[in-house]
Amino acid sequence: MSTVRAFRGMTRAGTRSVLIYRGDLVTGAITLVIQVVLAIAVWRTVYSGRAPVNGVDGQTAVSYAAIAACLQAVLLPWQFSSLPERIRNGQIATDLTRPLGLMWQVLGQNLGVLFGRLPLGVVGLVAAGLLGALTGPPGLGAALLTAVATVGGVAVAMLCNLIVSMVTFWTFEVSGPLIVYRFGSAFLSGSLIPLWFMPGWLRSSVEWLPFQAQVYTPVSIYLGQTRGGEALALVCVQLAWVVVLTLLLELIWRRARHKVVVQGG
Amino acid sequence: MADVSWVRQYVILQRAALRAQLQYRVNFWTTLMGGVAYQGTQLLFLGVLLGKFGLIAGWGFREVAFVFAMRLASHALYVVPFGSLRLTDLIVRDGEFDRVLLRPVNPFLQLITRQFPLMSIGDALLGFGALIVFGWQAPVEWSVAKVGYLLLAVIGGGLVETGIQTFFCGLSFVAASTFSLRIFADNSITQFSGYPLTMFGRGVFYGFCSVFPMAFIAFLPASLLLGRTEDIPLPVWLIAAAPVAGPVVLALGYAFFIRMLPRYASPGS
Repeated sequence: MSTVRAFRGMTRAGTRSVLIYRGDLVTGAITLVIQVVLAIAVWRTVYSGRAPVNGVDGQTAVSYAAIAACLQAVLLPWQFSSLPERIRNGQIATDLTRPLGLMWQVLGQNLGVLFGRLPLGVVGLVAAGLLGALTGPPGLGAALLTAVATVGGVAVAMLCNLIVSMVTFWTFEVSGPLIVYRFGSAFLSGSLIPLWFMPGWLRSSVEWLPFQAQVYTPVSIYLGQTRGGEALALVCVQLAWVVVLTLLLELIWRRARHKVVVQGG
Repeated sequence: MADVSWVRQYVILQRAALRAQLQYRVNFWTTLMGGVAYQGTQLLFLGVLLGKFGLIAGWGFREVAFVFAMRLASHALYVVPFGSLRLTDLIVRDGEFDRVLLRPVNPFLQLITRQFPLMSIGDALLGFGALIVFGWQAPVEWSVAKVGYLLLAVIGGGLVETGIQTFFCGLSFVAASTFSLRIFADNSITQFSGYPLTMFGRGVFYGFCSVFPMAFIAFLPASLLLGRTEDIPLPVWLIAAAPVAGPVVLALGYAFFIRMLPRYASPGS
């Protein structure tokens, strides 16, 4: 069996693990729509009758909030991979005997989970569109660059998530680091509040971290708030993070291999 | 264990659950920090938003922060003693609930002592810290009666959240997964219950007072204390009675849980 086929198999399994709970997916979609509606209401209220703030008008802020909520629902789920669970209950022993490397298995599965969650994001975006909360990109170039930046955002989100999950090899319990990661990703990625509105000291700190690549970069390019050379620079930063995080993951995995403890009998 | 009171059973089981959790030292500290950080994010968000925009629907930072603090303190009163209810889905799905039913202890008691929710200590630290700080700064002329009402409201709010989560536990006996619903409840309460809820329009506001009763957690009692009841399309006596909603919602949630319990079907081995 070729490596590609094995990877595809893991991806398919990941997607199925989401799609099998249809009731959950439907309630997930409904609840995301409610979240989107509430987020839109918050920003409309905040902006009511107000001139642009920091060069951002009300409609752009509302669009940002709606898209960011959808992107967050797809990209930053509470639990991406079953890796921590598999380490804890000893199934990791079977995983390690498979011909496909463990990191590829987990990444394949995570990608599958992401595909499975895509319909959620689409439903959220349609709802936002129906409520008149979406604006189009300023041009074809911005639309194409948004597509690239979204893929970059996905890569950064998946790598970050996996790196956090790897902590389980040392601690067996990972809910703590995962929560801290959730905090990091929800706020620092700009999914709760765009970087435009952050005070200078906070914004400059956030720009040094990988999280803004997940949500802020694609959405701000889509809305035309970041254009031209600046937009390209943000995508280059994403790419740089993908490289750095991949190297970091490889380093952690090399060390983790010596830390594998198979539990259970 | 018929001769042991349920309070004693709770203490024994919860202590064992806490000991089990304390095995993982790194996780203990990171989870504790995570609790503070996660809820702190919301405070930071409100700070950034109000720092930039000044007012939300006519409410300033001191008022919104007070509602936030009440909400978080209530959340701590749900999550410290009852937080492991969130694991019910998993226990039902993998058949672990079979064992729960075999033991001579109330199933609900076993569910709430399943795992000590470490993160809740972080929530409690931040929640009660924020309540003291923002309660002090809030535009309220405090008296003994008002402090008493605040305490009752916070306890009531905790019970409302517990009741909602208990309802979802009942639902997990008939639905394969209620994870999305739980996340929704948690996210909505975390993200939105600190706002003046009337800003979402009358229909949505009434929804928050009935179908998803999050208005009772902090907004209604806080508006009474802040003297802003004129913003709310409800009679003042009903707003003042908000703390009573806690026991009512919990009783309804528990009744639903007991009613759904016989519908649990073991997934097999």
